[in-house]
Amino acid sequence: MAYEALDFYDIDSLLTEEERMVRDMVRDWVEDRVLPNIEDACRDGVFPDEWRVEIGEMGILGAPLKGYGCPGLSYIAYGLICQELERGDSGVRSFASVQGSLAMYPIWDFGSEEQKEKYLPGMAKGDLVGCFGLTEPDYGSNPGDMITRAEDKGGHFLLNGAKMWITNGTIADLAVVWAKLEGEIRGFIVEKGDEGFSAPEMKGKHSLKASVTSELVFQDCKIPKDRILPDVKGLRGPFSCLNNARFGISWGAVGAAQSCFNSAREYALSRIQFGHPIASFQLVQNKLSWMLREITKGQLLAYHIGKKKDDGSWIPEQISLAKMNNVDMALEIARMSRDIHGANGILDEYPVMRHMANLESVKTYEGTHDIHNLILGRHITGIQSFTREP
Amino acid sequence: MGVAVLLKQVPDTTAKIGISGGRVDESSITKWSISPYDEYALENAIKLKESGHGDVVAITCGPARAAKCLTEAAAVGADRLIHILTESSLDSIQVQSLLSAAVKESGCDVVMCGKQAADTNSGSTGPGLASSLGFSCVGGVTGVSMEGDVASATRLGPSGLEEVEVGVPCVFTFDKGDTELRRPNVRGIMMAKKKPIDSLTPDDLGVDASNSKVSIKSHSSPPKKQPGQKFVGSESVPEVVNKLREEANVI
Amino acid sequence: MKTTVISESSNGALHPVTAQLVGAASPLGGQITVICPGGVGSSDAAHISGVSKVISVEGDCFETYDCLAWSKSLSPLVEGDLILSSSSAIGRELISSIAASKGIPVVQDVISLTDGFSATRTIYSGKAIEEVSISPPCAISLRANSFESAGEGGSAETTTVDVSQEVSVAVKRALARASERLDVSEADIIISGGRGMGDPANFSHLNEVADVLGAAVGASRAAVDTWDEIPHSMQVGQTGKTVTPNLYIAVGISGAIQHLAGMRSSKFILAINKDPEAPIFGVADYGIVSTWEDALPVLKDHLAELMSN
Ligand SMILES: Cc1cc2nc3c(=O)[nH]c(=O)nc-3n(C[C@H](O)[C@H](O)[C@H](O)COP(=O)(O)OP(=O)(O)OC[C@H]3O[C@@H](n4cnc5c(N)ncnc54)[C@H](O)[C@@H]3O)c2cc1C
Ligand SMILES: Cc1cc2nc3c(=O)[nH]c(=O)nc-3n(C[C@H](O)[C@H](O)[C@H](O)COP(=O)(O)OP(=O)(O)OC[C@H]3O[C@@H](n4cnc5c(N)ncnc54)[C@H](O)[C@@H]3O)c2cc1C
Repeated sequence: MAYEALDFYDIDSLLTEEERMVRDMVRDWVEDRVLPNIEDACRDGVFPDEWRVEIGEMGILGAPLKGYGCPGLSYIAYGLICQELERGDSGVRSFASVQGSLAMYPIWDFGSEEQKEKYLPGMAKGDLVGCFGLTEPDYGSNPGDMITRAEDKGGHFLLNGAKMWITNGTIADLAVVWAKLEGEIRGFIVEKGDEGFSAPEMKGKHSLKASVTSELVFQDCKIPKDRILPDVKGLRGPFSCLNNARFGISWGAVGAAQSCFNSAREYALSRIQFGHPIASFQLVQNKLSWMLREITKGQLLAYHIGKKKDDGSWIPEQISLAKMNNVDMALEIARMSRDIHGANGILDEYPVMRHMANLESVKTYEGTHDIHNLILGRHITGIQSFTREP
Repeated sequence: MGVAVLLKQVPDTTAKIGISGGRVDESSITKWSISPYDEYALENAIKLKESGHGDVVAITCGPARAAKCLTEAAAVGADRLIHILTESSLDSIQVQSLLSAAVKESGCDVVMCGKQAADTNSGSTGPGLASSLGFSCVGGVTGVSMEGDVASATRLGPSGLEEVEVGVPCVFTFDKGDTELRRPNVRGIMMAKKKPIDSLTPDDLGVDASNSKVSIKSHSSPPKKQPGQKFVGSESVPEVVNKLREEANVI
Repeated sequence: MKTTVISESSNGALHPVTAQLVGAASPLGGQITVICPGGVGSSDAAHISGVSKVISVEGDCFETYDCLAWSKSLSPLVEGDLILSSSSAIGRELISSIAASKGIPVVQDVISLTDGFSATRTIYSGKAIEEVSISPPCAISLRANSFESAGEGGSAETTTVDVSQEVSVAVKRALARASERLDVSEADIIISGGRGMGDPANFSHLNEVADVLGAAVGASRAAVDTWDEIPHSMQVGQTGKTVTPNLYIAVGISGAIQHLAGMRSSKFILAINKDPEAPIFGVADYGIVSTWEDALPVLKDHLAELMSN
């Protein structure tokens, strides 16, 4: 049966023709290439390399960035791309988010001219893969306390420390690594093969199985002086990247939720119990209508914040709200959809259990659900409550 | 030189078709697409262009909404876009006159289209156009390659799959085969958006688009299926076979 | 009123649909001329009742199929208010080409035709029916088996003409025989087997029926999972292919919801199952309660007989 994305409030009519064409292109690709292969990819715990090549060929990486071979699309188009990729699998969307918003973006915004020319065109084509190293084994929600250090050795920098939970790490050609230089957070570009740098893969995930997650280890890692991002200091660097990625997630979560809703609706209409399709029972209808309601609200949030990204009138707290709301909504919908599927819901024949497990990661990365609550709390009251110190 | 590819916009094959007041209700159709066989023609036209046979000129005949198929064609490599704007329903002669005027204007010596369109499933356009242009015609092909002015094509003929040779000018109508359609990319989509569409009216082409010789009297829903019939024992097989032909009309 | 029927041939003989074309034309009255491209079947055509004249068109160009050459040779011989052909691939091409050369409209794949002319056909892959009125002179192709055949007993006068035209399409080589089996996603008719077939070797019985019908062979998931010989590409259903053929024949398939998901939109469904309670009978248009061992041989024989005339 052809996929009909839930669009109760006709968001479609608000899109430009170009945005619709990009959305359809990605939707068709997901249908053709991701859905038939995703369960195998999850079982084997791999992100198939041909997906990298094909995503690169579509030209969607770094979607909203302009120049240096980047697509220069609207933020709405970027959101739609995330929505369609995550309707396939959060792991595929993660690949694109990390590449575009977390690796390409800081080079594009804070890099030197030479750095931009050197990396961005290849990254936009998917020939070079990037990753983003902020989280450490002991510092997750509070990256400001990170211990990874850079030392200026005159002719080069020396990096020491470790990053953890790094998407794309093992398959990356370059890592944007945040480390402290003389006590101040700075961004560095570390290339695969740099002396003292390794990126072992983390195994045993029950979530985002089709995405590569790695440690980055720096043991007297020597990098040339021109690998520092010249134009940013402090947490503003990583946080600006996160704003873009979180924005993409607010759309991606809608895609995962649409997929779960679709599956639940079809299943409920075809599953007969007590002599009737379960879709005809009021309790099941209540669940479906709740899903419709929540997805529709999430779509409006995502669309509106997309418009604000495009006209530049947004504030980070608005993105926090969209990320936390939409991921929370998608996770609840995945659980409810699993319930409607009964025992079948736990099988890999249906996408729901996979989305549900994936969304647990999505709820945690890019600022946990509660960290976004705290961001909003500070915005409302003016009082920070991340830490007990004044 | 040059390949003209004819694209018809039809309701997506997955679209539900609503009928109200004895007519198909077009506003109920949520998705319009390039007719599937035309997509194979488009893909093969672009392949021919890549092998050096001039530009691809995409031509559609239809209302304003049909312009979308031209933009989609441009996104995968069509060079020139011609939209023959028509609002009323036309008969086959009118459609072929419009298309043949546009093909002549384009100067193309190869024309490609689907073997039939997914709305009426007629299949009149390719061979009819060939006849009115005096071009050769090879129907139901799955691939075409060219050596100078001679094309060789694979077609499903009466005795099976065969390779045929034909000189230009020629019309090819396409079947599915194992042609893989290319995906557009963002760069193609952005360029397509900027590509101008030549909009022509029947008047511009000197064709009278009024007084269609074929007029639609009504549209209706297909009759509801009869409830299932059950037969017992293999002795009932002959009766069922007869019903398959007489009642169901499927063999 | 004058009608010209372009005859249909297969394997060097007149195809039975030709008598149906005459049968459709007869109630409209007037004179009926049958034109036989390549002269194939002209003597049989002369025996169809209601035919006034047969033109056997011979010529070198009829050795292989070249649409333009055929239509150029036939066109000058075609006259009247109505031109009829079958809606086979060649029938459609020829009649379009002839109609265009005469500047008259063509309407294809018509399933009923009355005076005037008023014609109906299905559109949007059978999702709607369209009734059109067509002002003569015009050309119409008719769907096979939608019209009563005219009987035998005619004795029309036959003239033979030789009007070969230059051939521009040269057949270079044959690549594959016509009988190669189709994939389920492409076929108009599918016959599928399930676990009830008992053994993968028994799928040969399905193949035989498929060959008679030009059908594809499909399978249930139980068959695909149980037997290595049955590839996943044959699986119909939720995790296999979704198909909408004109006719779906399910043999030894119980009709689990996941199987139905892939085939219930088929236009007609015939089920053969030994269990009268099998859920497949709930969606079947025709159900035969029987083992396949009993039913398939009879089915094959009767189909073969029907398809040959
Ligand atoms: C699959 C995956 C991929 C990832 N990819 C990347 C990547 O590419 N790059 C990268 O840098 N990181 C990545 N991460 C790491 C991710 O960003 C962190 O996991 C996240 O920031 C949370 O950190 P933590 O896991 O250390 O949890 P913690 O910070 O230890 O949080 C644990 C719990 O405590 C709560 N909590 C913490 N502080 C407070 C507080 N002040 N008040 C109330 N509650 C609090 C949190 O909400 C959470 O519920 C990834 C993670 C996963 C799972
Ligand atoms: C998530 C999920 C996805 C699935 N996807 C698919 C799918 O895509 N396609 C699919 O087909 N299934 C699918 N299934 C499996 C489906 O539930 C059934 O198990 C399967 O369709 C049964 O196949 P069957 O009818 O061949 O076998 P059975 O259910 O075992 O039926 C065999 C039938 O053969 C009949 N029979 C036995 N002997 C004879 C005889 N000699 N002559 C005539 N009749 C005989 C019996 O009466 C019985 O009705 C899926 C299941 C799940 C849970």
